[in-house]
Amino acid sequence: MARLVLSRLAALAVILLALSAIVFALEAMIPSDPVRAMVGASATKEAVAAKRHELGFDKPLPVQYVRFLGRAATGNLSDSLRTRRPVVTDLGNFLPATLELAGAAAIIAAVLGGLLGIATARGKGTAPRLLMLAGASAPPFLLALALLMLFYSKWHILPSSGRLSSSITPPAGPTGLLVIDGLVHGRFDVVSDALWHLALPAFCLALGPAVALGRTLRSSLQTVLTQDHIRTARAKGLKERTVLLRHALRSALNAPLTMGGLQVGLLLAGVVVIESVFAWPGVGLYTVQSISSTDFPAVAGVTLVLGALYVVINSLVDLAQIVADPRLRAA
Amino acid sequence: MRRVFSLVAVAGLVLSACSTKSSTTGAGSTPSTNGTLNLAYLADMSVPDPDVFYDIEGNTVILSAYQGLVDYKPDSTTIEPVLATSWDISPDALTYTFHLRSGVTFQDGTPFNAAAVKASFQRRISVNSAPAYMLAQVADMQTPDPMTFVVKLKSVVTPFMDYMASSWGPKIISPKALTDNAGNDFAQTWAKTNADGTGPYKLTAFNRGQNYTLTRNDSYWGPKPNFATVNIRIIPDMNSQILQLRSGGLDVILHSFPVAELPTARSDPNLTIRDFSSYLQSMLYINANKAPFNNLALRKAVAADIDRDTLVSQIYGSYGHPAGSPYAPGILDQSLAPISYPTATVKAPAGTPAITFAYTSDESGIQSRLAGLIQQKLQGQGFQVTLKEVTNPQVYGYATSPQTLAQAPDLLLMTNTPDAAHPDTWSRILWGTGGGLNFLGYSNPQVDTLLNQGASTTDSAASAQAYAKAAQLLVADYGILFLADTRDVMVMRKNLTNVEHVPNYPWALRLGTLARS
Repeated sequence: MARLVLSRLAALAVILLALSAIVFALEAMIPSDPVRAMVGASATKEAVAAKRHELGFDKPLPVQYVRFLGRAATGNLSDSLRTRRPVVTDLGNFLPATLELAGAAAIIAAVLGGLLGIATARGKGTAPRLLMLAGASAPPFLLALALLMLFYSKWHILPSSGRLSSSITPPAGPTGLLVIDGLVHGRFDVVSDALWHLALPAFCLALGPAVALGRTLRSSLQTVLTQDHIRTARAKGLKERTVLLRHALRSALNAPLTMGGLQVGLLLAGVVVIESVFAWPGVGLYTVQSISSTDFPAVAGVTLVLGALYVVINSLVDLAQIVADPRLRAA
Repeated sequence: MRRVFSLVAVAGLVLSACSTKSSTTGAGSTPSTNGTLNLAYLADMSVPDPDVFYDIEGNTVILSAYQGLVDYKPDSTTIEPVLATSWDISPDALTYTFHLRSGVTFQDGTPFNAAAVKASFQRRISVNSAPAYMLAQVADMQTPDPMTFVVKLKSVVTPFMDYMASSWGPKIISPKALTDNAGNDFAQTWAKTNADGTGPYKLTAFNRGQNYTLTRNDSYWGPKPNFATVNIRIIPDMNSQILQLRSGGLDVILHSFPVAELPTARSDPNLTIRDFSSYLQSMLYINANKAPFNNLALRKAVAADIDRDTLVSQIYGSYGHPAGSPYAPGILDQSLAPISYPTATVKAPAGTPAITFAYTSDESGIQSRLAGLIQQKLQGQGFQVTLKEVTNPQVYGYATSPQTLAQAPDLLLMTNTPDAAHPDTWSRILWGTGGGLNFLGYSNPQVDTLLNQGASTTDSAASAQAYAKAAQLLVADYGILFLADTRDVMVMRKNLTNVEHVPNYPWALRLGTLARS
């Protein structure tokens, strides 16, 4: 276990170094002048030069990179050119919204994927499978707009955007995840309103990963169901449901868990589109706004945080696989 | 001056949600009520600090919370009193004396007076951010009595009163707020999320990425605003904004409404399309610093080949017309510097190198459609044109050195608007050498001399002639082709009344007067 943690930490460091180097290489490859854009067209050359010096943009790129790494090591990701605040402060504001959305989407994906996999492994659930496949094959923004038109515009049963109704004041902390904070403070109005706002964006985000998980679980289950221990279980006279849930499912979880880890990347990429459509104040929305204003400190900060998140979640998936499959513990 | 376009069923969750709320007509939050006006921005504004803010998205917030000494009248370039009731300008145009309005208080309850004006002017100079250039020539400021403020300038600044009226001009901030929150950055940290002015609305919430809340200022000195609350939400997806407008969750889409959606909006009985006069001009920069367009004949050929008038009619319809002059209507009499482009098309000579054509896009789709049509027209005359979309900071990087200019695109399509309704704020940075919006490095020493003449003379007719002559030289050089004088188009709920708009403040409505019938 210790070896796993150490190897993952080493991988994390290498991946973050590589990611930040790519961001800085991109900065070099895209000729732009974010400082000029920041100070405005009427600023004098001296004012532009002073601002450039203040922000360190007058230094050669490798020097900027080393300084960035030095600051990042102490938790300082520089200031955003657009919001004029520390990127760490911005991420502190935006990350909880994304974590809540991605977390809800992951839960929906796991539940839907599990139901889909189990139902279809036994040759049932063709209709819901086709429906989900159709939904997952639609471009996410199209699916989001279609659902908004139905649930918001036509039926008026779900909200169109944001995390909370403006009439509700969210509790202060501790996590920034409104559902959790609402529960901690006993504010059930916040919990229900937050869930109400989460429903559509989380579902849109979850559908693609759910279908991928379901298909993987289905084929994995079908393989396991042909194995000897399943035949033995059936021969003992166990109910088919018990055979499936107690004996087959656990040994079939390895592949879906691997797939789940990979889907995290897809989920994090998906938040960019989904947060834009649903005006969800998360890291995806922050990224879109930062890219369009060539706000490199912000883009570099987001890249590092999402990269770290991806590695950490995949490490957790590795642990989950060990728990689910005793054979891996011996290995 | 600034750039405009560089300027978006299943599961327990749904079921539990449906069980908690039986229905909503709202904007993802609260439905429109008589007391709340719901607006949206496509992106966050930078900061609600009037001495730093230098964008267009956010004008509504600044102009509702803060006020300057003067303002432009709606749909006009006439300067009207606001916090100054009258003003005198010395014959040498170096001393401006403002007589201030009495009985005005800041939103924190403290009184407005000359000391407050002086403190705010001084802060703008000290902060020294983008809009500080408007006070760069201030030599001295005096407060001879509590309701008189005197500014002395180092040299003549012909647009000075227009700077005072500009959306980005000096706004008066409560001295108490500035002192209480001074920190070591002239209260800039405080002003990133707070405001304290004399305007009709208080900024009561600034949630970056989510929403800004403006609450009626009950102690406002002028007519009481009609809406108790204005909720501005950040909705980056235009389709999502349109859905909410049609459902009543939004009252206005302030800008960039997709042209393809206009017919649908027109047929919606609850919506109306309003267009206002503006100084927004679309323009095609030509890079004369390298082949092929270092050749005047080829620049002239582009002017003829794009068939400007047809192009503008096809793209803008009734929301724009072929630009009458390099100065938008209202900035300078267009007949002083009229535009005349040749109409006889010219084939690209054999061997003309392939050209790159950059444009900044916007949500309305106008820029990309315009760029596509220009590309077609030029290709029809034998030019090889590669089209690419670029961002604002990329455009700002083109003219940083002769090397970057050599690598910059051959053509660049932009839509721009000036900081104030004065020819100097438009011409100097657009086609003066080294100007901040002179993106493809146009330079003509004669033009620079004329611009300096225009800025330094107190004779307004002679000044206008100098600015006009500078524009005529630009037109003759084919350095920038002016395509269209465009309207500021907004789509809104039909029940909105008292809609007031100032041409110099694009994408903004006067919230203090707006009402719902």
